Amino acid sequence: MTATEGPPEQTEEAPDLSLLGVKEGTGHSVKVQALQAYYGQQHALRGIDIDFPANEVTAIIGPSGSGKSTVVRCINRMHEEIPGARAEGSVTLDGVDVYGDGVDVTAVRRAIGMVFQKPNPFPTMSIFDNVAAGLRLTGTKSDNLRERVHRSLRAVGLWGEVKGRLGEPGTGLSGGQQQRLCIARTIAIEPEVILMDEPCSALDPIATLKVEELIDELKERYTIVIVTHNMQQAARVANSTVFMLDGEVIEHATTNDVFTRPKDERTERYVTGKFG
Amino acid sequence: MPLQETRHQFREDLRGLEAQVLGGIDLVTQQLDRAMESVSYQDVELATMVVADDDRIDGRYLEVHQGILSLLARQAPVAGDLRIVAALLHVIRCIERMGDQCVNIAKLVPLSGYESPKDKDLLDSIERMGQLARSQLSESREALSTRNVELAQDLARQDADINRLNREIFRRAVDIGDDPDVREWGMYMILVARCLERIGDNTVDIAEQVVFVVTGLFRELADASTPGIQPRTIPE
Amino acid sequence: MSAPALPAISARRRRTDKVMRALLLGGTGIALVPLILIIYYLLHKGLSAWTSSGFFTTDPNGNFFGSPGGIRSAIFGTLEIVALASLIAIPIGIGVALYLTEYGRDSAFANVVRYLIDVMTGVPSIVFGLFIYIVLVVAKVGGSSFAGWKGSLALALLMLPIVVRAAEVVLLLVPDSLREAALALGAPRWRVVSRVVLPTAAPGLVTGSLLAVARGMGETAPLLFTVSVAFGLSWNLNGVMNSLPAQIYGDITNPRSVVVTRAWGAALTLVALILILNVVARLIARRSRVS
Repeated sequence: MTATEGPPEQTEEAPDLSLLGVKEGTGHSVKVQALQAYYGQQHALRGIDIDFPANEVTAIIGPSGSGKSTVVRCINRMHEEIPGARAEGSVTLDGVDVYGDGVDVTAVRRAIGMVFQKPNPFPTMSIFDNVAAGLRLTGTKSDNLRERVHRSLRAVGLWGEVKGRLGEPGTGLSGGQQQRLCIARTIAIEPEVILMDEPCSALDPIATLKVEELIDELKERYTIVIVTHNMQQAARVANSTVFMLDGEVIEHATTNDVFTRPKDERTERYVTGKFG
Repeated sequence: MPLQETRHQFREDLRGLEAQVLGGIDLVTQQLDRAMESVSYQDVELATMVVADDDRIDGRYLEVHQGILSLLARQAPVAGDLRIVAALLHVIRCIERMGDQCVNIAKLVPLSGYESPKDKDLLDSIERMGQLARSQLSESREALSTRNVELAQDLARQDADINRLNREIFRRAVDIGDDPDVREWGMYMILVARCLERIGDNTVDIAEQVVFVVTGLFRELADASTPGIQPRTIPE
Repeated sequence: MSAPALPAISARRRRTDKVMRALLLGGTGIALVPLILIIYYLLHKGLSAWTSSGFFTTDPNGNFFGSPGGIRSAIFGTLEIVALASLIAIPIGIGVALYLTEYGRDSAFANVVRYLIDVMTGVPSIVFGLFIYIVLVVAKVGGSSFAGWKGSLALALLMLPIVVRAAEVVLLLVPDSLREAALALGAPRWRVVSRVVLPTAAPGLVTGSLLAVARGMGETAPLLFTVSVAFGLSWNLNGVMNSLPAQIYGDITNPRSVVVTRAWGAALTLVALILILNVVARLIARRSRVS
């Protein structure tokens, strides 16, 4: 094993999602309609319409500043946590508008989980506590907390690597392991959709591939949206790809089409590297 | 957004590969000219040269093949670039096959005897067929280098003429078959016609690749092996 | 190996370097001299008090003859007063800092608060003493004029801005990515603060608080106006009580040399207490870092 992955792995195992409570194929789709977003005066998203089909991986690609991260943060209403930021339009999860009146923001975020670019396990918590954090922080009463934590760790393929040291600090793991820990933390509360904002940017190639394998497994249980500036990653991982530029959706098609015969000239220029 | 000169090396490499492929078509054209000349004049020496020079085409094939592998590994082309690379790989194989057909024609020359050709009509047809093949070859080159879809589709129509001539030559050879002197030569001419017809098919293959590069769709243009088939889209 | 093509340092630069070094070392030395002198005097004069019998176990008795007693009541008095002051200043201070970083980071109101806190750090401690004197002592609020708890209040006012500033720095050091992660899990903001931000910042908060406490321990002026001086050991914060600064103040001008020595012993004790607090604060800071 290379030096990138902490201590040597006891058992290299494939992620096992059958242990999770979420049934295979029960799909949740997200629909973004006429979404506008602002950072103070800056108009970041200019009318976005995207359908994210259930149990599929949709990638969003585009140059820096195109608004890809903003879209994703509007889906789980993290955008409004930024001072001066606001959003208009609708984002529906299985037909329910998450921006509707009286909707509890924390409930939205429990249903729509998020994994960030830089792995961010809680430094004061052990590996076990990190995975349980989602349940504890949301006040979810759970009789079988231990079981749920173990299931999550198995689901992301970390169990074999950490089972003997669940009490150790979460920050003691390697970058790739930390990111998988964060994914375990997210799926422990059994969301319906998982948003990923450049989840592999801070990881080395081997860790990246492991996370991509995991995404491939996860899509059978969850709907996944992944923002990436690595086009090869989008090509490997996503069923369909959205290309964004300057706050607008330029093209949204199957990944195969986007990378073999894109319809828009701007998409062609971007994916072939003629700019950006 | 202003266009920046990014991936400079990649673009140069890709242009270089395309130039090599077009050069390959030129080599085949040369080979075809000489092969046809050797048939017309029963020039065995010329025929021998054609056979020997096929090494150049084989060498070109290997160069392009290696260049494409290298480009795929190092540059990961996508979209339009990927289609061009895939097309070039296909086209260089067509070129190699056409080269082999020219060799086959050349090899038939010494076998068909050392006297001058026996039947003028048959020879005329063969020569016409050769001219058609040559013009299709140069049109396929033009279509590829200028990405001309109409020209490519026109090529398929022209190929019908070659096929027709092929059938005519066969009938003519049968007709003159009574004369034992002429008969053997006639049989060899049938084989020559067959090689030319194969060359024609290959130019249609090249035309199909041109359409693919431009439209992203692969359509089989009507050819001799599947007469009368409507053009269809291969599902991706 | 061929000769390197790099130019050598000129003699002038070498000279300048030496001169600058000498100047800086000299300046450092001059700054260290008073510190060393203070430590020397403290030890020289105070150690003999420490070793005298009953120094830590008896109260000062105000006698003109015989043993003047120890400083037990002063030590306990200081501890009591400062403990109450900390109980007031630290929670409120951390609360203000939490408001400034978690809820109102960029708002106009928060900026005003920050400005006021900064002003408060510059207020001389005697002013806090005078303020409490006018408001609470003269008015005999709570049934007595001078009282321990009023001294605690004065000290708390002094400690508050220190706690707020230190806590704000530490809280801002907690990466926003942790807050985001907790929010994205669906946690309400108060839980984000209590379960993620505070535990992560805890070591730094403790350090900052200890430093504020150390500061409060050494202040004399506020106590003189609010607690005044007493001799006996008292646990009643609603009345006068002794404190180390007051004890030193009272003893140093006494004609009896043994009492003066006692003052030095008290000063040494005070410095020792503050030193211990500082060392503990530093150890805590070093052991845990905000990752």
